Amino acid sequence: MKLWKQLAAATALTVIAGGAMAEGLYAPNMAYRTGPFAALGIPLMNGQADYMTMLNERDGGVGGVKVDFEECETGYSTEKGVECYEKTKGNAIVTQPWSTGITLQVLPKTNVDEIPILAPGYGFSPMSEGGTFQWAYNPPASYWDGAYMILSHIAGGDMASLKGKKIAFLHLDHPFGKEPLPLLEQLAAEHGFELVAIPVGLKEMQNQSAQWLQIRRERPDNVIMWGWGAMNSAAIQEAVKTKYPMEQFYGVWWAGHDPDLAAVGDKGKGYKSISWSMPQPDSALMADIKKYVIDTGKTQTTEDQLNSVFYQRGLVMSMMLAEAIKVAQEHTGSAEIGPKDLRWGLENLNITDEKLAELGMAGMVPAFSTACNNHTGHSGAWILEWDGAKFNQASDLLQADQSVIEPLAKAKAAEYADANAPWPVTTCGG
Amino acid sequence: MLYRTSGQFKTSYVADMALFPVRQDAVLLAIILAFAWVILPLTASEFAFQTLLIPILIYSLAAMGLNILTGYAGQLSLGTAAFMGVGAYACYKLVTIMPWMNPVVAILLSGVFSAGVGVMFGIPSLRIKGFYLAIATLAAQFFLVWLFEKWGWLYNYNASGAIQVPNLEMFGVTVAGPTASSHVQYYVVLAIVSLMTMLCINLTRGTLGRTWKATRDMDIAAELIGINLMKSKLTAFAISSYIVGVAGALFVFMWRGAAEPNLFDIPLSFRILFIAIIGGLGSVLGNYLGAILIVGLPVILNTLPETFGLPISSATVEHLNVMIVGALIVFFLIIEPHGLARLWALIREKLVIWPFPH
Repeated sequence: MKLWKQLAAATALTVIAGGAMAEGLYAPNMAYRTGPFAALGIPLMNGQADYMTMLNERDGGVGGVKVDFEECETGYSTEKGVECYEKTKGNAIVTQPWSTGITLQVLPKTNVDEIPILAPGYGFSPMSEGGTFQWAYNPPASYWDGAYMILSHIAGGDMASLKGKKIAFLHLDHPFGKEPLPLLEQLAAEHGFELVAIPVGLKEMQNQSAQWLQIRRERPDNVIMWGWGAMNSAAIQEAVKTKYPMEQFYGVWWAGHDPDLAAVGDKGKGYKSISWSMPQPDSALMADIKKYVIDTGKTQTTEDQLNSVFYQRGLVMSMMLAEAIKVAQEHTGSAEIGPKDLRWGLENLNITDEKLAELGMAGMVPAFSTACNNHTGHSGAWILEWDGAKFNQASDLLQADQSVIEPLAKAKAAEYADANAPWPVTTCGG
Repeated sequence: MLYRTSGQFKTSYVADMALFPVRQDAVLLAIILAFAWVILPLTASEFAFQTLLIPILIYSLAAMGLNILTGYAGQLSLGTAAFMGVGAYACYKLVTIMPWMNPVVAILLSGVFSAGVGVMFGIPSLRIKGFYLAIATLAAQFFLVWLFEKWGWLYNYNASGAIQVPNLEMFGVTVAGPTASSHVQYYVVLAIVSLMTMLCINLTRGTLGRTWKATRDMDIAAELIGINLMKSKLTAFAISSYIVGVAGALFVFMWRGAAEPNLFDIPLSFRILFIAIIGGLGSVLGNYLGAILIVGLPVILNTLPETFGLPISSATVEHLNVMIVGALIVFFLIIEPHGLARLWALIREKLVIWPFPH
């Protein structure tokens, strides 16, 4: 009898607490802590959640309102993702779909439901065209930016020097992996280098011997990898096995996961990954995270994740969301904002170096700002290089040439709008 | 008591062969149909439409298609998802080449393509049986998914390699695409699924169904009594693939809104096979029960902790969910290895003679 009373009391308490929590800013995240990609998902999700917990603990939320940062587990499955979207869209101020499949599916619906999509560093590259993709944001850099920056690093800044080179593009045979192909093909034609696209099927992710045999035969000057999940660690191990020179091996930002490289250790020395985030273990933010989140035990993060690239990237992602909320709050003059206000906030984000320093995040992400015709921000990125134990910054801030990317983004955005007519399109600056 | 059949006399052969010889069955079905057509659409939320009602109907239809082939005709198939894919891609091509086409007509037509492909991959069934046939259909599974990836024409050379459903109108109402309302989509799905179910029930009761069952139970004996095995097996492949293809078109056009090739990969085939097996092979009702258990239950379980305000993280819920659903599948299969439909049949039998069991 006593036990039942206690149970009932506990349930009642949690119901009340749950009710109170829902009054904050509801920002659901479609997490994947289970399933085939969990190894990458966990540090990212932890980073995102910890930043919001830290804000709630230290500042009482954003602008005095707590952020209800709730996770909805998808296991990276599109079906579950749509379930999560439907479940959360009622009160949510933002949707963070987290997989290309889910983004594809949710993108048309957000126009109707009027909820902004925040897809930091993933999703469609043409999403930068805010006139067409009014509700979608992919700051701080798109895949096309990433592909361009890797090429410009290979070329040493002078794209003309790529002439006659052979560059292999090892990619996941999936919308995500194919994303940079239009840009790479265009650049190959323009600058006269040979592009060898090598697809890795979703089922062959962990067994890439055929692909690496082809690489050994073709002897490309560089390999660029657009990989995800188990594909990256398999590729890196195959590269070690086939003795492909690591200095000539580049990966996208999702292919720079510390444990993948730690598995090969010294043999992975020289491997490079482009990244728009950079871990800063000694930053003021990390001190606050330790003080308010880690030491109080309000997290699922383990100590060894703290300084990894992915964990700190998760922090940066939540910072962008929190800053957008702040902008929206200033704009509306009210702390309780809705999805429409947040859309305005995301569109008028201005992350300067001063602001980053103020947030204690100097050097964690390059400065960038968004606008109506620039939903990406095009922050630029750094090359990180594996030294056998950790990733180090190996280049100055690289920038993608927007005069090349923008026309392509415009064309593809128009194509998308045509294929999905009637698609609402506005013009910016009007 | 509720199911007492005393007093219901059948005075003619026609009455004995009626679809519902027992009045209570007809009443029960009428209640279910009333729920499906009137009560649920009036009360369900957007979430229920998108995650429970529409997917359960579509999965039931796909499982029904498979059940014709595996449950009635006895030909084990592991290529269901690929045939669904054929239906979906065919429908996509139909509506993009001929945008004026009525979407429902396009969906029903796309099944024809899937039936053709199904017959093609069904030809080996004339020579091989059982597990070996399963492997032949597995080849269809791998080949077709590969084709969806490599043949750019199928997805109109989209950079992403995925197909996306445009807004489609029928009599001035948007029925597919992002602006379509869930109510409309639900009714379209329900109408098509009801139609197909009626077709299936009658097919399996008629000559064709009996031919299939004879083929399933012993093909040599069937041949000896004059059944043309080739015709029997290939019609099973054609009709099964047609239904599966229509389910595939509905799957993408009325529910998902977009699809990438690997959506039609083997996990989906297995999922539908599990629905058919757990629901009950060789039954129509079983497909619905199986889909409710496999598709609907996890969604409901997922929402439970939140409704009761239990502070469990969503990842834990997911783990628990997998465990509970897995345990339930084991439980039901131990109680009744012939599936949920058989379980219902037993319950019904007990109800008929209640309160005087033998």
